[in-house]
Amino acid sequence: MNIAITPAMVGQVVISGILAGALYAMVALGLALIYGVMRVINIAHGPLLMLGAYTTFFLYSALGLNPYLSVPATMLVLFLVGVGLQRTLVFRVVDAPELSSLLLTFGVSIALVNLAQLAFTSDLRAVEYLTGSFPLGPFAVSKTRLVAFLFAAGVTALAFLFLQRTRLGKAIRATSQHREVAMVCGIDVQRVHLITFGLATALAAAGGALLAVIVAIQPEMGQIWTFKSFLVIVLGGAGNYPGALLGGMLLGLIEQGASLFLTTQLSEVVAYVLLVVVLLVRPTGLLGGRQT
Amino acid sequence: MATPVLEIDGLSKRFGGVAAVDGVSLSLEPGRIYGLIGPNGSGKTTLFNCITGIERRDAGRVMFNGERIDGLKPYEIARKGIGRTFQVIRVFPELSALENLLVVTRGGLADAEARALELLRFVRLEGLRNEYAGNLSYGQQKLVEFVRVLMRDPSLILLDEPAAGVNRTLLNDLLDAVRRLRDEGRTVLLVEHDMKVVMGLCETVFVLDHGEKIAEGEPGVIQTDERVIEAYFGR
Repeated sequence: MNIAITPAMVGQVVISGILAGALYAMVALGLALIYGVMRVINIAHGPLLMLGAYTTFFLYSALGLNPYLSVPATMLVLFLVGVGLQRTLVFRVVDAPELSSLLLTFGVSIALVNLAQLAFTSDLRAVEYLTGSFPLGPFAVSKTRLVAFLFAAGVTALAFLFLQRTRLGKAIRATSQHREVAMVCGIDVQRVHLITFGLATALAAAGGALLAVIVAIQPEMGQIWTFKSFLVIVLGGAGNYPGALLGGMLLGLIEQGASLFLTTQLSEVVAYVLLVVVLLVRPTGLLGGRQT
Repeated sequence: MATPVLEIDGLSKRFGGVAAVDGVSLSLEPGRIYGLIGPNGSGKTTLFNCITGIERRDAGRVMFNGERIDGLKPYEIARKGIGRTFQVIRVFPELSALENLLVVTRGGLADAEARALELLRFVRLEGLRNEYAGNLSYGQQKLVEFVRVLMRDPSLILLDEPAAGVNRTLLNDLLDAVRRLRDEGRTVLLVEHDMKVVMGLCETVFVLDHGEKIAEGEPGVIQTDERVIEAYFGR
């Protein structure tokens, strides 16, 4: 294989990488929040993203709702699903050994995928909206990817603003730093857990809603997102919320960069190899994990 | 006699086969400073955990201002007016000094911010309010933790080893502050290993050994109590 790499190709990789990275960052922030606050790795994160994609699809096909307008609606629906999951199932494993929460959320993940197959069949669905790309100098920018980037950046910024500025956001951060102390400070930790899980699910759902116009929707579209989100928070440092942003961007850039040198099949492997390398070389993540 | 601020009756907590707290009863009157002493592992911190609801008691009753609080959730107990510090400093390291106080919910946010700034000024940490608490010195973190307890105007304050690792000057400031809280009518119960602090500050001392209360009384009397000496030095 002997291909000349032109500056234009590098530019294209950077653009595509950043566009994809923002989506990774937003979805992974959800996983990071649940892990940070409850020490639970939510295997069902990706399948919840899949439910978000279906929600957008049905709002579009049945009600004719503009897929971008449905992003907040989808987030709200899945926020409630997340709160429900926390209230009925996940709260039981918050203090249990990690294996319990892994098994539980793994079970939830399988159940969600199979229920989706039963309810929606395995047919590929698509939301056809905004197609094609527009030229930006020598580069081609996919319209749906660009809008997805803008939404993801906006939603992520709002999430951080919420965490930094509001009282509930401070309570979430306090709980993730010292649960017991948060309790004696008068924080209702169980309520914080409910809201955190709801918020995290809403972030996954936003990813699903945006992907609905980009890729084919099917019940198994989500699992890879659990894995990639996990990789992102390992890259950025588990429990380190800004780290999720850096990790997302890196994953986007590395994947796109790899596509310059590798065939499509091989570049799919890059994320997996990356996970192994990071865990071997720098298991606390690039920005370091939480203290304590 | 006024209604006790805190009244504990027959409180027990077991971990597996070990009785960490074993049938402890005690009563605290308003506006006084109490000490809780005992050898390591005698159940002092577990008793604090049971009062604040972090551990569930196995038996017994806890009354706060005449109201039963055992069985309530930790945040409910905190909101009723019991504040607490920890043996090992526990500030929220990645929250600013100001935010550390603001997580204690109390009225509206503007109201809480005014109170938090007033408290930071009280311990001269106003200038560092936007610094991450994790970046403050040990003594400064201790002060942040201390004033965080005051955010909600608690009527009962539980201090777990306030003097540990603190230099003379800071210690004197802390002790003055504790006396001032007492003069405002609050009740303080403190666990402390530094006997000079206990003897100089506390009006009544409870002694725990193997989870049981073995003595109660004025510091001077406690010092000569045979069971206490035995608990500390062996027979």
